[in-house]
Amino acid sequence: MDSRDPSSAVASDAARDASLLSEDAAVLSVTSTLAKSALSCFQSGKFEDCIDILIQLDQKQHNDPKVLHNMAIAEYFKGGCSKSKKLLEELNCVKKQSEELASAAREQVEAVNPGTNVSVSKDQFDSTVTTLNIAVTWFHMHQFTKSSSILEPLFQNIGRLNETIALQICFLLLDIALACHDAVKFSAVFDYMDKAFGVGFGSHEENGSTMQLSSNQGSKTSSLLSSSVVADTVAESSLCEETLDYDNVLAAEYDAEKRMKSVGHIPANNLLKTLSERSFSTADLKLELQLYKVRFLLLTRNLKLAKREVKHAMNIAQKRDSSMALLLKSQLEYAHGNHQKAMKLLVVSGIHKEAGTSGIFNNNLGCIYYQLGKYEASSQLFSKALRSCSSLRNEKPVKTFSLSQNKSLLITYNMGLLYLARGEPLLAAQCFQKASVVFCRQPLIWLRLAECCMMALQNGLLDRSEIRVNVVGKGKYRKLMIEENGHLELDGSTQCGKLSLPLARACLSNGIYLLNESLLNESKSDRESTLSVGMNETKEASSADHGEANTNSDLKEAKGGLNQDIMQSSLSAFKDIQSREKLLIKQALLANMAYVELELENPIKALAAANSLLQLPDCSKIYVFLGHLYAAEALCLLNRPVEAGAHLSAYLVGQDDFKLPYEQEDFDQWRMHTSSECEETLDSSTGNARDSVFLKPEEARGALFADLAALLATQGHHDQAKAMITHALTLLPNNVQATVTAVYIDMMLGRSQDALTRLKQCTRVSFVPGRLEVRAS
Amino acid sequence: MNRSTTVLMKIEESATVLSLLKSDLLPMEVVLSQFNSKLQSSSHLAVCNSLSMMLQDQKMLCGTERIIAFGIIYHCYSSQKPSFNPFLSEMISAACNEQLEKSERAFLLHLLQWNNYNNVKEILKQSAVDYIRSFDPSTHDFPELGELQREYGDKADTGPSSHIFADYSLKKLLHDPDVPRGCDPNSPEFDVQPGGNPRIGSGDRDEALSGLLENSTMGGLAPRWIRPCPPRYPVHQSELLWIDPDNKHELVWDDKMCADTSRGATVRDLLVKGLKMTLSPSEQEDITTELTNDPKLVYNCGITARKLPQLVEHNPQIAVEILTKLNNNKEILDDFLAALVNMDMSLHSMEVVNRLTTAVELPKEFIRSYITNCISSCENAKQQDKYMQNRLVRLVCVFLQSLIRNNIINVKDLFIEVQAFCIEFSRVREAAGLFRLLKTLE
Repeated sequence: MDSRDPSSAVASDAARDASLLSEDAAVLSVTSTLAKSALSCFQSGKFEDCIDILIQLDQKQHNDPKVLHNMAIAEYFKGGCSKSKKLLEELNCVKKQSEELASAAREQVEAVNPGTNVSVSKDQFDSTVTTLNIAVTWFHMHQFTKSSSILEPLFQNIGRLNETIALQICFLLLDIALACHDAVKFSAVFDYMDKAFGVGFGSHEENGSTMQLSSNQGSKTSSLLSSSVVADTVAESSLCEETLDYDNVLAAEYDAEKRMKSVGHIPANNLLKTLSERSFSTADLKLELQLYKVRFLLLTRNLKLAKREVKHAMNIAQKRDSSMALLLKSQLEYAHGNHQKAMKLLVVSGIHKEAGTSGIFNNNLGCIYYQLGKYEASSQLFSKALRSCSSLRNEKPVKTFSLSQNKSLLITYNMGLLYLARGEPLLAAQCFQKASVVFCRQPLIWLRLAECCMMALQNGLLDRSEIRVNVVGKGKYRKLMIEENGHLELDGSTQCGKLSLPLARACLSNGIYLLNESLLNESKSDRESTLSVGMNETKEASSADHGEANTNSDLKEAKGGLNQDIMQSSLSAFKDIQSREKLLIKQALLANMAYVELELENPIKALAAANSLLQLPDCSKIYVFLGHLYAAEALCLLNRPVEAGAHLSAYLVGQDDFKLPYEQEDFDQWRMHTSSECEETLDSSTGNARDSVFLKPEEARGALFADLAALLATQGHHDQAKAMITHALTLLPNNVQATVTAVYIDMMLGRSQDALTRLKQCTRVSFVPGRLEVRAS
Repeated sequence: MNRSTTVLMKIEESATVLSLLKSDLLPMEVVLSQFNSKLQSSSHLAVCNSLSMMLQDQKMLCGTERIIAFGIIYHCYSSQKPSFNPFLSEMISAACNEQLEKSERAFLLHLLQWNNYNNVKEILKQSAVDYIRSFDPSTHDFPELGELQREYGDKADTGPSSHIFADYSLKKLLHDPDVPRGCDPNSPEFDVQPGGNPRIGSGDRDEALSGLLENSTMGGLAPRWIRPCPPRYPVHQSELLWIDPDNKHELVWDDKMCADTSRGATVRDLLVKGLKMTLSPSEQEDITTELTNDPKLVYNCGITARKLPQLVEHNPQIAVEILTKLNNNKEILDDFLAALVNMDMSLHSMEVVNRLTTAVELPKEFIRSYITNCISSCENAKQQDKYMQNRLVRLVCVFLQSLIRNNIINVKDLFIEVQAFCIEFSRVREAAGLFRLLKTLE
């Protein structure tokens, strides 16, 4: 202790305590009895009674923030957990109040006892629980960033907190980090938990030398095992015959359920229990942390290690609830592309049997079917998942926080992807717009929305892919009027609801903005993280220094270090993956932006987008090609034909031949999100070949010929243009634009007979007689 | 760009225009004023556009019709200088086209007000037929195309769309005569004969004219650029959201509400301190008294199984005190004991266990695991320095002797294990002592 006399401070404390006690003893006993009965009412779901008691308490303890806090919580449950905004307001109010009271109390104490840092009223005005509840509410409203920023100060001082609260904070932070795909944050929290709560996870327990913690586990274990064996065999029998039909899986499910009932046991799974209901015995916590570790490894796509760790989790879980471990195993197989195995494990996990998790089951099964290209089944599953989510929400009375399992927005996002894959942009856009509540900070969702707009445009403008020729007059006076103007049907986009090119542009610029922001943060945090790693090293060194008495310490330190190493290495690998993906998304965003700006007749902006696309490092060859093409067109529209030509001639071989702008391999690699230096190769047949269609390399070469021909034609080099367009038409025989350009060149060369023949030979020309018919169509 | 809005003429309008073109006996002034009264100025551009397209085809319109057509084009923009006329280039090229009638070319030069061609008003007083009839080609000289272009070209307004595709767009009709093979489509035999049956390949010029007028749009034919739509961004398997149930994060009831917080506060504060440093004797005494006064305090004094090791290291006495108080609650005590087993072996932890054995009856299982753990710790200490190992071995030996002497453990249960331990570390004096003790008990 320091120079001040400690005993006197304590003595004065005790004296004051004693006096307080004698005065308030009577009141205290009444209020604490009331408080107890309020709690028991709350726990048994009698919220009205609970509130009545709290009102009484409030009259006795006027404006006690804790009473107000509990009142707000009880009111919220009474209202069926629907008024989250109101709850937030009240909680924030309580928090402010207790902070004010706390500082007032501190001043008072200081005045009485100057210099002593006593903390008499620490508990009374402590707002930790309130803060946690605010964060929990934001979390359920899918406002993860807000929730996280509120928890941050608590996490900074987590060592001082009561253990149960500390664990709740940590788990909430972990779930937030997972929801935000924030591996860095996750590893920081996990590191702390590993150190603070993971002590004693060492080898002893695995050697089986520890005592059994609870005696009733033996019986539970056996029944659990038997039931999962049943499920296993059932799943096996249904899946061994390669048929992956949805019906079959469901039939197997029902079968399993029936047999399970005859066994007389349904595995009670832990997933539905709330944190506070769960007692955190060391062993529970160990399993929980192990499961989170697997989720981290899955998030960072470290599949190899995830496999090892999930096995470990299975071992720990054997004695207790293994549904989560099985679910993670299923996810691992899904990530590996072993869809059958994933499906089997998903069924075995048994999560479809609980109302709370059946939506999750259906969603995950839907993901598997999507990957298999079975969109019909996938869509059925996603809608089923959504239905079970909404029925969960309407469940009454609200005992547990049913919102917490409300994953409907995530499922809605999946649904959006599915609609996009099935070519239904309107429905897809609706889904993405709904899901944007959760994902609005992610650039990808904006790209997807823009894609919906563009798809709607293309779907609405099918006419555009044809040449319309008006046939006027009869007999010797018959004339063909090819006032080719494919954009006539632009008004057709009104039928696509709110989707439009300006919306696409807005979405894309949102996406680009968010992406740039996150790239900026990334480079910032990179600098910071090197700093913190350095600090860790010095810390470790110092702790090793004074570990003289602890012979085991080095051993354990090494083990902890291993854990940390694993986390760190997959973290940095994940960072690489993420930045590669960000680059891919950026390429896509810029290419789409250039396209949309061209469609919107903004050549200046289109040129800017195309140029930034071309300046990106390690740009995919496909996007380089698009960048050149868009830039060239924009330059033409800006009357800068020479520069336009320069973009096209990047692909020239000699005077008049083009090389392939990209190879099929480039496209395949791009489609699988991989680059040549990445060793992670997935079987390309498992992916959805239908997902993204694009010009074949030869067709792209044809486009180069056609565009150069168009450029040359405008420059009056009709003969050269003619040669180019002939090449183009051999590569793209029925291309509308190339045909138009060819007709133009023919006519400029005075060969209208050739033009006529060309038009009559092209299959994509429609000859439209007279005016009335045009109107009718 | 070339996405011009469609300017279709109404059917009545095109009929009006057609009839005006045919009014070759009326003074052109009258024709033009009729044009003004019958057509709104908003449709002027569309009319001129159609007319200019038909004028490009030299056979579509006859001489008088062409004169009137040019007259209309001129008239629509006569309030401005000729160089602002959007159809200026067509007029210029027609004026210099040697294939056209000289009368028509001279008429155009008047319209353009070229040099001494300045009596437009006079000419427009004549009818088209009269103008052509009275035209004397010998009195006129015609400029070169370049000359005219120089005069007007620089000033020519290229219009609203001024990029190269639009500039080079082409308005041209393709002849596609539908006549039997081998027939000359230009022969008059294919014109509709009044009263006669229409024969194959015959066509009505007026019908074609009104068709053209009705169907024409503003656009022209320009080279088209191939603009591939970017491919849809591929869906990576991680974009499809696989969902894991998360922990159900519940709102927490604040159970500190109206709780008597003052009572335990001192003890809790002291215990937090006690996790980091050794407490003074008076502080230790305070804790002991408080714990004795309030038997329930031990459950919320802030010490949990996970914090126990720290407390053991700094304040073993207090740890013993707490563990003894917990003796009533089997489940919690088990958790605490598990923490003791798993913590690093040290003098303090052994002291705690030793003192605990005398205070309460501990589960046999626990003592057994603890001893096993002690022995394996000594063995594992091999890798580290000898001194530390010897020290640890001595501690364990003393600890075991104490346990044996106090009859806490039954030596038979652990005989083999302990014996092996003694033999392994026989170089340590205490181990030899323990060995002898074992022998005496045998």
